Amino acid sequence: MTAKDLKLTRRSLIAAASLAAVMPGVTFAQSKPYPDGTITFVCAFPAGSGADVLVRFFSEKLAQVSKQTVIVENKPGANGNIAAEYVARAKPDGYTVYVHSGTSTAANMSLFKKPPIDVTKALRGVQFINKQPFMLAVAADSPIKDMKQLTEHLKGKGGDGTYGSTATSGKVLAEVYLQLAGVSATEVAYKTGPDSLNDITSGQLDFAALDPVFALSQQREGRLRLLGVGSPQRMKSIPDVPAIKEFGYNVDQLGWWGVFVPAKTPDDTVMTLNGLFLKVLQAPDTEAFLNKFGGDVYTGSPKEVDELLAKTVEEWRGYVALAKIPQN
Amino acid sequence: MEVFDHLATGFMAAGTLQNLFFCLIGTVLGTLIGVLPGIGPIPALAILLPITFGLDPLSSLIMLAGIYYGAQYGGSTTSILVNMPGEASSVVTCIEGHQMARKGRAGAALAIAALGSFFAGCVGTVFIAAFGPPLASIAQQFNSPDYFALMLLGLVMAIVLAHGSVMKAVAMVLIGLLLGLVGTDTNTGLTRYTFGLSGLWEGIDFLPLVLGLFGIVEIIRNLENPPPPRDAISTRMRDLWPNKQEIREAIPAALRGTMLGSILGILPGGGAVLASFASYTLEKKITKTPRRFGHGAVEGVAGPESANNAAAQTSFIPLLTLGIPSNPIMAIMMGAMIIQGIQPGAAVMTTRPDLFWGMVASMWIGNLMLVVINLPMIGIWVKLLSVPYRLLYPAILLFCAIGVYSTSTEPFMMVLMIVFTVFGYVLFKLGCEPAPMVLGFILGPLMEENLRRSLVISRGDPMIFINRPISATLLVATVLMLCLIIFPQFRKTREEAFQEE
Repeated sequence: MTAKDLKLTRRSLIAAASLAAVMPGVTFAQSKPYPDGTITFVCAFPAGSGADVLVRFFSEKLAQVSKQTVIVENKPGANGNIAAEYVARAKPDGYTVYVHSGTSTAANMSLFKKPPIDVTKALRGVQFINKQPFMLAVAADSPIKDMKQLTEHLKGKGGDGTYGSTATSGKVLAEVYLQLAGVSATEVAYKTGPDSLNDITSGQLDFAALDPVFALSQQREGRLRLLGVGSPQRMKSIPDVPAIKEFGYNVDQLGWWGVFVPAKTPDDTVMTLNGLFLKVLQAPDTEAFLNKFGGDVYTGSPKEVDELLAKTVEEWRGYVALAKIPQN
Repeated sequence: MEVFDHLATGFMAAGTLQNLFFCLIGTVLGTLIGVLPGIGPIPALAILLPITFGLDPLSSLIMLAGIYYGAQYGGSTTSILVNMPGEASSVVTCIEGHQMARKGRAGAALAIAALGSFFAGCVGTVFIAAFGPPLASIAQQFNSPDYFALMLLGLVMAIVLAHGSVMKAVAMVLIGLLLGLVGTDTNTGLTRYTFGLSGLWEGIDFLPLVLGLFGIVEIIRNLENPPPPRDAISTRMRDLWPNKQEIREAIPAALRGTMLGSILGILPGGGAVLASFASYTLEKKITKTPRRFGHGAVEGVAGPESANNAAAQTSFIPLLTLGIPSNPIMAIMMGAMIIQGIQPGAAVMTTRPDLFWGMVASMWIGNLMLVVINLPMIGIWVKLLSVPYRLLYPAILLFCAIGVYSTSTEPFMMVLMIVFTVFGYVLFKLGCEPAPMVLGFILGPLMEENLRRSLVISRGDPMIFINRPISATLLVATVLMLCLIIFPQFRKTREEAFQEE
């Protein structure tokens, strides 16, 4: 390499550097389309919870398809209200993304007397993640084999039966079933599925309304028998467990997860993000992962997410009144 | 012996170069996390979880498990040196361990903690290998009434933790119970004592509470009464090692702690915490020289440290044999297994014996690595104490603040920490000790939940607690413990045992 070359190189380097120094403000937006920068996923659960594992799985996958760094920020508290409010107030640039249960987001509108934000107005749907039903279960050695027998059993107890429930979804699923079946039983609330296991298997509880991750894992271990899922049809991933609806109880309660951004996020950014998540959701290992959590992959357009969120908000107003859940 | 065949399979699987490497990374990372106050193993594991997606299942589980027990290990270092427990199970280590450090025996305390933990880890590993499945089925017999009785026993033990007056200890336990009530009530879904603050919805966070009460109050206390200028701290090996007398006192305590920890670790919910508290209580009860307790009793370090490490080990049993995570860390491990396509549960043992036994074997290897890494480090840790206070204190404050803030990135957590610092300072001025309060705070909510559940199931009939053999036995033990504290003829012994001066 000659001295001249070196000089040239150096000069062009300096030129390039000064150009870069002047340019960013002007050309940044056009030449570097979204996403170009660190994307933050907001998780409404503490680090290490089951839901956190799901959010982190998607952060890893989205980082691969978007070629960007994706970090997870945990904003637990107030049943997800803190996280939802945080996202609603974030800059609407597509870099703050809320990956959370749409059901829970919608339910908070009626579980709280004064919800901090109107989720249908402050948030905007991007993509679905999955559909995931809660399930009714009994101990594996219970004489109760199906939903009809459960109803007969509870009738026989004349209101003296007990059942375990986890999360608001479990509470509501059990209450809806009991009312449709015209029987009554006393609720015993548990924080998590594992807390309730020994009381179920020892026969202290007549049945339980449980989250799918726990219910499925304990069915595989031979400790629980799953009587029915809350979804209107059987789930693709668990075809051998009937829908409660098949027994004539009109239960249609299907939890879903979705991706949300602040309401003012521009359309093209939302569409880009929708496509990136679609790519992740179509990967076979994503499907395998979601099936392990008892859910089926679910995709759609941003508009469909908005519509389902609004519909779920309305449904839950009814559920909260039906199950007589106190408002905070 | 079948067990040895299994363990051989395990050591073959865990002994590959790759797995040894990940075990080393895990334990080193864990130690660092444990030493930095505030950054607990739970967020660390959650953050590292995605990194393990690409790894072989056994390697990733070995690394995650290494972080967990490495952190247990590292946590005792800060407890001893600067009175700062990073997690619930090392609160007890502060009591005697920090007193030893103040008397210039920091090196000995650290060495005893390290060796006690190693011993407990070895026993815990054998425990899992030999009795894992049968023990798990015992834990399955525990129903709500039995948990209630166990928590009640734990709370009564908490009274023995303090060295001041009985009344003060009882009051502290009760305050702890009340603080534990803050948040959303599981039964009704209504919030209690939240004063409209959304940061209190899920209850008071453990980290701001414990760092405020212990860590920062310790700094204020030292600023108020500056400790005598320390001599140049000797880092000769002879002074860093426990002397013969200390070793003699530590060995039986470590044995007892290991036994207690191995058993309590199997029970879901606070097993490791209960284990370290229970071990301390036991040591204090049976010692011939109770006066030393509160002034750096060696048994008070050896027992609880062994107990919490044994419990950390055996808390894998419910996960590996039943598919039930017994604490949040096990829940992350469960998540890691699910991501790897492994459904935790008894089936793992038969379908993937290399994985199950490989993990068990890696725990032993990891514990050995921890001793090898940590023993030579003791000299360095002790030297840390010769850092001038004007540098040490701001550094500790900074780490506390970072740790508390990073758990939820909510400024409210900092406010909570300040509130508990003020509260802790008032307690210190009144001569009340915070340790019983912490136990009340942790056990209270569990006790309440199980009490209410039991009574709903029994339709309000309290006989449910007496009709079940497990809860009946535990309740009898509780009553006996109470008698020891209350009745005058015993009280004399108790006062001998627990009055400070």
